[in-house]
Amino acid sequence: MKNLAFLINQFLKRNAKYRVIATCLVLSACGDSSQELSAQALSNLNKSYPSQSGGTLLDATIGEPSGLIYMVAGESAAGAISSNIFNKLLKYDKNLDLEGELVEGWQVSSDQKTITFKLKPNLKWSDGKPLTSADVLWTWQAVTDEKTRSPYASDFQLVKKAETPDALTFSVTYDQAYAPALDSWAGLQILPKHLLQGQDLHTTAFARKPVGSNYYKLDSWANGENIKLSRNPSSVLGQAKIDNLVTRIIPDSSAQFLELMADNIDSMGLDPIKYVRIIPARPELKQKLALYKELGNSYTYMGFNLKRKPYDDVRVRKAINYAIDKQEIIDGVYLGLGIDIASPYKPGTRWSNPDLKPYPYDPKKAKVLLKEAGFTDIDGDGVLERDGKPFSFEILTNQNKEREKSAVLIQRRLKNVGIQANVRAIEWASFISRFIKTGDFDVVILGWGLGLDPDQFNIWHSSQQAPGQFNFIGYNNPSIDKLLEQGRTELNPDKRQKIYHEFARVLLEDSPIVYLSAGYGLSAIHKRVKGIENPAPPAGVGWNTYDWYIPEPLRRPVSGRTEISAN
Amino acid sequence: MLKYLIKRVLWMIPLLIGISLISFFIMHLAPGDITNNEASFNPKTSEESRQKLRELYNLDKPVIVQYGLWLKRMTTLDFGNSFASHQKPVFWQTRDKDGNVTKGMIQEALPITLMINVLGLIITLTLAIPLGIIAARKYGFWQDKSITLFNFIGFSIPGFWLSLLLMYWLGVVNNWLPISGLHSINYDTFDTWGKVKDSLSHLFLPVIIPSITGLAGITLFVKNGMLDVFHQDYITTARAKGLSEHQVVYTHALRNALLPLITIVGLSIPGLIGGSVIAETIFAIPGMGKLFFDAVMMRDFPVIMGILTIGSALTLIGNLIADIAYAWADPRVRRGVMRD
Repeated sequence: MKNLAFLINQFLKRNAKYRVIATCLVLSACGDSSQELSAQALSNLNKSYPSQSGGTLLDATIGEPSGLIYMVAGESAAGAISSNIFNKLLKYDKNLDLEGELVEGWQVSSDQKTITFKLKPNLKWSDGKPLTSADVLWTWQAVTDEKTRSPYASDFQLVKKAETPDALTFSVTYDQAYAPALDSWAGLQILPKHLLQGQDLHTTAFARKPVGSNYYKLDSWANGENIKLSRNPSSVLGQAKIDNLVTRIIPDSSAQFLELMADNIDSMGLDPIKYVRIIPARPELKQKLALYKELGNSYTYMGFNLKRKPYDDVRVRKAINYAIDKQEIIDGVYLGLGIDIASPYKPGTRWSNPDLKPYPYDPKKAKVLLKEAGFTDIDGDGVLERDGKPFSFEILTNQNKEREKSAVLIQRRLKNVGIQANVRAIEWASFISRFIKTGDFDVVILGWGLGLDPDQFNIWHSSQQAPGQFNFIGYNNPSIDKLLEQGRTELNPDKRQKIYHEFARVLLEDSPIVYLSAGYGLSAIHKRVKGIENPAPPAGVGWNTYDWYIPEPLRRPVSGRTEISAN
Repeated sequence: MLKYLIKRVLWMIPLLIGISLISFFIMHLAPGDITNNEASFNPKTSEESRQKLRELYNLDKPVIVQYGLWLKRMTTLDFGNSFASHQKPVFWQTRDKDGNVTKGMIQEALPITLMINVLGLIITLTLAIPLGIIAARKYGFWQDKSITLFNFIGFSIPGFWLSLLLMYWLGVVNNWLPISGLHSINYDTFDTWGKVKDSLSHLFLPVIIPSITGLAGITLFVKNGMLDVFHQDYITTARAKGLSEHQVVYTHALRNALLPLITIVGLSIPGLIGGSVIAETIFAIPGMGKLFFDAVMMRDFPVIMGILTIGSALTLIGNLIADIAYAWADPRVRRGVMRD
């Protein structure tokens, strides 16, 4: 089965490449048959309109959600839809600072162990039943229940005691102060107790016909085809402008793009080629589509196995860091749509230390450092040796186009300083179980999320090295451990910020990984959709989708067919 | 005949057990399981919760024990629930105590794939048989050569590329056909005729493209079958006794030449059920190929086993039907079976 899966995967990868080529061919071959908009339509599209409600927004997703109870479904496709239906206690605002969503406010006790949330009054589920602290308590019980298979339970299991003194108050007490707690409550979607009590969350029909409290409610779900949401008239956060959100399930991104060209969907995520080359080169697309970019949610890095020689030597790690040209990767792989980073946080947010600068490309310095570490080219074959052994390793990565391309660019740069690197790409599950879990690797290229909470205990703390845990590179630095422990128990944002600025500084200096780049999230949205903030704030283009609107004259013609009616 | 049938059906049971055993072990040879897919590589998730998941799904037990558990469930025809897709039943729908029906994954995907492939096969056959006859009758002439050329162009063009070209030309440039999906977004609001028209327009490309690319093989089969038959003594006899060319070709030659086609159709049954990952992905069709591919990528073992088992069972049944049809059509085979 492994070989079969591998072959299929290889085949698809290759086809994916061909498909891109095919699309390009198609696009250039038929370039003259353009359907440019008339001057009238164009000026209508670019006019400004007053904010108004109504209309339908169509978008597409590559994967179908497995269900809409996010705590057990877990995948991003589920989160994208369920976040329109359910609310959380807290949320991140456009600048990625925490604010209340279901709560008016929250208080941290003086010993920092208890957090008390005060719910907004008169909250309602979309079926009319009141939403109270009992629902919040029940949701916490559900996510921490022994029988619940939630990948995100661990943050909530740290709660020692959860109480509801009254219908609007919910308080949680931790064994010791736990700073990431607030972030965790900004991630937990509150579920209705009165509909789910006594049911198995994994098999309940609720997962496919949920009742929530947010801007939208589920209208229909056609298996494998589309999911339709309509405005929830009793939304606890007020009314969204757009009446209906329809998400079509289109697994192939070329097909998605054709649907976007034919105006059958309003928005889609783009890859750099479409963003830089294809759309700007085609007037009929450029006229009707607006392009957006936002800071991505993840970064790519090259990590060393720190338990092996010579990667335990900081001079070797730094040398490799200096030897790699990050700008070349950003330009070559991401067509310039990325940035190099110096800390594992989103640049521009409070956790990112503005004083830190990424390692510049400096092969001379790299050579000096390698020499200091005892590497010299004795036999003159262009590869450095130490103790008679040539410096060569294998760069492992999963089958991800960007990572594979980055690896090839790195390979060439390392060759220039006398390091011989081979590149190997492996299917994900094999990669994890055969190399990462067993620690059987020298160098890997992988990615981490640029989390909204600065706590990265699981990735960097020396206690997190067991098989299956996330410090698989074997990083062990007592001063980092100490900072991570401090940062976890400090709830004051300003003090916390200092801790994590210092953490990022030590991390950069120690160079256990090489930050390669953080790519932008790219999207195209039809110009009929107004109210989108551009350039995007740190929280991204979609932070205020409830305020987006589609002016009546620009709505999709319904040609005698009835549009899906709003409530 | 009846004895033969019973014997064949009974034989299927050990065969299916053997197939399932081999499939189960090969499936477990692949490294990884449902708990280490790409989405779970997230520091917000913990190894303990993954371990708990493994225990709940019995993935921590030896493979042979897991196979035993699976086989035990199979005795009651319980295909289990998907790991990845929110515990949806793998095969057939279930009803909970409140009367909510959850449809099975194969139950939903199989009819779609079958419909597309059977329509495709019908179109292929209706085109391939006349083309094959013409090519055989005009063997070596320009008609034969142009049919061969046309077929091999169709055979050589990558299906996904042709799909994208036609999607672009018919869907984007001319807006004659929908690009992807099975239904329009507002399908529910159409009247019956509108629904039929909508479904047909969505099915057009997914059905036509595999028919074009599959045409070459069957046309060649028909052509070669005809050519073989043309050299038989009974055709010479038919010609010698002065039958019209029309009668020779359609009454005597064609019936004999089409016999091997039964085998070909029988052999294509696994393909009819299996569906195509690439076509289903491009056209956004929730069919069997996509279901199986996703299940393999997610290491969703109950779904993989369900598809393999049901696919094998249907294939065995299909082969049996093909054999019976062959016996029905060909007296020589029929006598052989009777004697058996």
